[in-house]
Amino acid sequence: MMTKMLVVDDEIEICDFLKTFFEERNYRVFTAMTGESAIRLVDQESPAIVLLDIKMPGIDGIEVLKRIKTFHPETKVIMVTAIETRDKIDEATRLGADNYITKPLSLEYLETDVKDKLESLVR
Amino acid sequence: MTSFQYHEALKNAAKSMVRVKNPKRLLKMIIRFIDREVGLGHTSILIFDQPNHRYIFIDSKGDRRLPVGLVRLDADNPLIGWFQEKDKNLPISRDFVTYQQVVRLLGNDSFLEQHPAVEKKLRSIKDQLEVFRAAVCVPGFYKGELLGILLLGDKLDKSDFSLEELTFFQTLAHDASMTIKAAEFHDDLSKRNRELEEKIEEINQLRKKEQQTYYQIILSLAREVHARDAYTSGHMEEVEKLGLMTAEEMGLEMTGHKKDILVAALHLHDVGKIGIPDNILKKEGKLTEEEWLIMRDHVFKGARILEPMDDFKEVAKIVMLHHENFDGSGYPYGLKGDEIPIEARIICVVDTFHAMVSTRCYRKGRPFDYAIKELEKYAGKQFDPLVVKAFISAINKRLRPQYDEETGLEITTSEQQAS
Repeated sequence: MMTKMLVVDDEIEICDFLKTFFEERNYRVFTAMTGESAIRLVDQESPAIVLLDIKMPGIDGIEVLKRIKTFHPETKVIMVTAIETRDKIDEATRLGADNYITKPLSLEYLETDVKDKLESLVR
Repeated sequence: MTSFQYHEALKNAAKSMVRVKNPKRLLKMIIRFIDREVGLGHTSILIFDQPNHRYIFIDSKGDRRLPVGLVRLDADNPLIGWFQEKDKNLPISRDFVTYQQVVRLLGNDSFLEQHPAVEKKLRSIKDQLEVFRAAVCVPGFYKGELLGILLLGDKLDKSDFSLEELTFFQTLAHDASMTIKAAEFHDDLSKRNRELEEKIEEINQLRKKEQQTYYQIILSLAREVHARDAYTSGHMEEVEKLGLMTAEEMGLEMTGHKKDILVAALHLHDVGKIGIPDNILKKEGKLTEEEWLIMRDHVFKGARILEPMDDFKEVAKIVMLHHENFDGSGYPYGLKGDEIPIEARIICVVDTFHAMVSTRCYRKGRPFDYAIKELEKYAGKQFDPLVVKAFISAINKRLRPQYDEETGLEITTSEQQAS
């Protein structure tokens, strides 16, 4: 069975791009452009991993992270954001984010990190 | 679009782009132009982000456009490596890469057998082209440095890129590189100019400080002269006060540098006397011809001491001429009237006045009224009559001299006098 991944970003180009990229690498990818639909998709599909942007209109990535880690603690969450302030990174880490990657990112690194996080899940 | 129309469009685009100096604007124009005229899945440009040693997307257009700001390509990315590689032995052009060409080579077994090391590279390039949905990549270089890459998606009509088109894209990439470099040079030059200006300012500050130090040294020398000449200790301050008062009375412009020059000249006009032996300087009787020559030389000595002060070139001249007389009977040159700087004419009056009323080692100071009469007597001869008039008017208006037999000159304000 293909691993389920959820990509959350308010930019449609980013959602599309990462969806294509990970589908080519045999993931089943869902996308959400708001915090609300992200939470709904996590509840419905129980993805193994979430790539989560922080800045979004409405419910932001930090709130979504809280929600995921409360109700689906086994779900891996990688923050993918342009924000690189120390306190945001600390806050996300404190709330249980499994990694914090800042844009612009290296796709190779993102791919490896996703694999790593999923392997730790299997073990 | 016919080949002719295409050519025309390209030519026009090139013409308008040449004028664009801002590289970011030019790159966006290039993208907009290709997107509009050629019809592609997407048109995107990666540029070198020098401070961070990475390549990032500056813009992307088209239905299948790439996200800007999401990804970066580091120096070890296969696509970047391919264009940067210096290996000239490979039988593949690095002027551009097309997806078609890569696929064809990967299917050519005899080629792969001849170049076993290339296969792995070609496969990762193919991956990159797929990830970035690129049918063509055109690098932009400046002196071998990869400044950016133009990435083009498939043509909407699914046709192949013509050689004409590929050549044009290369021209655009080249022009864009030149513009980027030119802008960098310009920024760099502006930065260096600013740095240079700061350095010059620093040097000026140092020089100013040095000049101030030198001024203080000369001032000490001048005080020493007055001490030896047994003037009252307040001589310099008094002469300054009298001189400024006179200049003001004459309506001379006495602000900033002009004032500094007069004050300096009033302070330092006798500094050249430092080199005159006591037996001449303090001689009570008449000087011999030889002694007189030595005495007269103090105006040149003073000017020489002041010469190194760049901001006070005029002061040296004034000092040299402060013994010239209005009627031409003075020394060292016998200049007349306006030929003598006004500052020197003022010094001549105030210094003579002050010398007359001051008590010296060999005589008591003369009465105030006597000094005034002497000035009036020699107005038009030794002194500039206008200076004398202004001096007397100023001294009567503002200061009332109190002549004391014991202590020499004391000047108090009229208010103090009245109280």
